[in-house]
Amino acid sequence: MTTGHDCACAHRAVPPALENVTVVANERLAEGVGLLVLDAPRAASSVAPGQFVHLRVARGADFLLRRPFSVHRAHGERIEILYQVLGTGTRALADKAPGDRMDLLGPLGTGWSIPEGIAHALLVAGGLGAAPLGMLAEELAGRGVAVTVAAGAPCEERLIGRELFERVARRFVPATDDGSCGARGLVTGVCEPLLAEGSFDMVYTCGPEVMQRIVAVQSASADVPCQVSLERLMACGIGACLSCVVRTTRGVRRACVDGPVFPAEEVLWDPAESPDTH
Amino acid sequence: MSSVDLRVEIAGLELANPVMTASGTFASGREFADFVDLSRLGAIVTKGVSLVPWEGNPSPRMAETASGMLNSIGLQNPGVEAFRERDLAWLAGSVPGLPVIVNVSGHDLAGYVGVIEALEDEPGVSGYELNISCPNVDAGGMAFGTDCAAAAEVTAACRAVTARPLIVKLSPNVTDIVSVARSVEAAGADAVSLINTLLGMAIDTSSFRPKLARVVGGLSGPAIKPVAVRMVWQVASAVEIPVIGMGGIMTADDAIEFMLAGATAVAVGTANFVDPTSTVRIVDGLAEFCHAHGVGCVSDLVGAVDVS
Ligand SMILES: Cc1cc2nc3c(=O)[nH]c(=O)nc-3n(C[C@H](O)[C@H](O)[C@H](O)COP(=O)(O)OP(=O)(O)OC[C@H]3O[C@@H](n4cnc5c(N)ncnc54)[C@H](O)[C@@H]3O)c2cc1C
Ligand SMILES: Cc1cc2nc3c(=O)[nH]c(=O)nc-3n(C[C@H](O)[C@H](O)[C@H](O)COP(=O)(O)O)c2cc1C
Ligand code: FES
Repeated sequence: MTTGHDCACAHRAVPPALENVTVVANERLAEGVGLLVLDAPRAASSVAPGQFVHLRVARGADFLLRRPFSVHRAHGERIEILYQVLGTGTRALADKAPGDRMDLLGPLGTGWSIPEGIAHALLVAGGLGAAPLGMLAEELAGRGVAVTVAAGAPCEERLIGRELFERVARRFVPATDDGSCGARGLVTGVCEPLLAEGSFDMVYTCGPEVMQRIVAVQSASADVPCQVSLERLMACGIGACLSCVVRTTRGVRRACVDGPVFPAEEVLWDPAESPDTH
Repeated sequence: MSSVDLRVEIAGLELANPVMTASGTFASGREFADFVDLSRLGAIVTKGVSLVPWEGNPSPRMAETASGMLNSIGLQNPGVEAFRERDLAWLAGSVPGLPVIVNVSGHDLAGYVGVIEALEDEPGVSGYELNISCPNVDAGGMAFGTDCAAAAEVTAACRAVTARPLIVKLSPNVTDIVSVARSVEAAGADAVSLINTLLGMAIDTSSFRPKLARVVGGLSGPAIKPVAVRMVWQVASAVEIPVIGMGGIMTADDAIEFMLAGATAVAVGTANFVDPTSTVRIVDGLAEFCHAHGVGCVSDLVGAVDVS
């Protein structure tokens, strides 16, 4: 089986566009983590799982670039974004109230590939890595693919996306650092025995890059193809500035258009390259 | 508004309007075709092209700073052959008639000359812009653009192999940009463009590490505009050849500032990352400004700053 981007969910079926969007809701989920619901009809109808939007979260003298965020869910005319407060931009996002307007560039990037014929997928989320996996879990379940989700977080309260995963997945396997929910320890600890069961034909993962790298190795050992979603600092988001490159077996590629999703076996991992903020 | 004449001329090249793209911020246009009618640009200036492929620098390559950004992309490009096959072919097919200026990079004289020679038979090339901010390996890594003699030497070598418009792009990382401008003018440049990015640095206070893998990088965006306007004004007052102004242009008003300071044309860079429609928005804004101020030809603004 290939993990190439040759799937039915042809990315870029709809070209990206600038869209004025309105905040519908902004809910605090845990300390420093929020869920933003945007009225964004164009993006909502055209986004594919794993794609992202580039948000102009604020305007002003000392605020310049857009911020990239994965689309967690899309339904009707709305998209949902899960965010973690880290700096100026995400703080501005946390301050948004219903009715506030922003502009969005999207949908952008190449999302998850869903090859025809897969029967059972393992989704591995580390922390906010749950963000781009939400839409994927729904899409897979909708196509009749069995879904198992392994999710890791510091504690039960921070198991982001749990409700969605429990609703659509056949199995939800949590791991927490403090043992407050599921296994105590890292998500990679529950991932290995799951893969040993031998029932998966695709692994999808997002989270801290060190974690994704371990999941990639575990998948390779279990002989299951794996797709990873990589974060890079982005300026343009549309492939022009070359800020966001990922070194791969197919050369230097751009995370914003060729990714953020890459087949794991193509990635030449370099710990120095990722923003390790999460 | 049809009464406003937006045309300008650079080294015998007539542009429909003064708005060009700044090299390295617009790729070769294709990435912007979803957002911008490229035929409305004055000219497209391509990303830097070198004789052989360059891999560029390690990541992180970008860091946002107050009103600006640092980059250390390292002129990643697939080399002149791939550029010809992919980018030039695409431009010729998709936006025929759009003036195309190829931004040329090299680590030595032969590198610059080689790129131009490889493109001389290409009908889709309207002119060249020499990026002389690249480190000159022969001279121990010092940039061509920071030394008058080296800048003149690379200009003369390229002048010798092309009759096409030759623009030399100046680095602001010098004590006296006017003398570099005069040197390249004397060596045969048809125009100068300025400014390239200002060398800068940012440090992450939680890790004590520089924010860029290469430690230092080029600052662009609104933060550098006053420096750029000053340099354009100084250079335009000192040379006879036209000046193309850039550095932090986000709005038509910013572009007008550069023209008043003496720029015949302007280039829009970092703004494209924030708003991919920036270029055409600025074209429209220039027409509106001229209309509102009773300016018949946009070129009447060039150098019209009143410093008396
Ligand atoms: C494709 C993609 C999808 C993402 N999806 C999500 C998501 O669903 N939820 C979420 O919370 N975060 C997501 N991120 C990370 C998010 O973009 C950053 O956390 C955010 O930009 C930080 O902005 P700031 O102004 O708060 O931080 P600051 O540190 O003040 O930002 C300064 C600069 O660094 C950039 N930056 C900082 N951290 C990161 C990072 N980790 N990744 C990329 N750029 C960064 C910012 O864009 C900005 O240009 C995603 C990143 C990418 C590349
Ligand atoms: C990401 C990036 C890449 C650039 N690449 C090039 C390049 O290849 N060649 C060049 O001459 N200038 C390059 N520049 C400089 C710009 O063309 C321009 O001179 C500078 O950014 C100032 O304009 P701005 O503030 O509008 O961006 C680059 C700038 C940026 C931000
Ligand atoms: S963010 Fe500009 S090329 Fe990817």
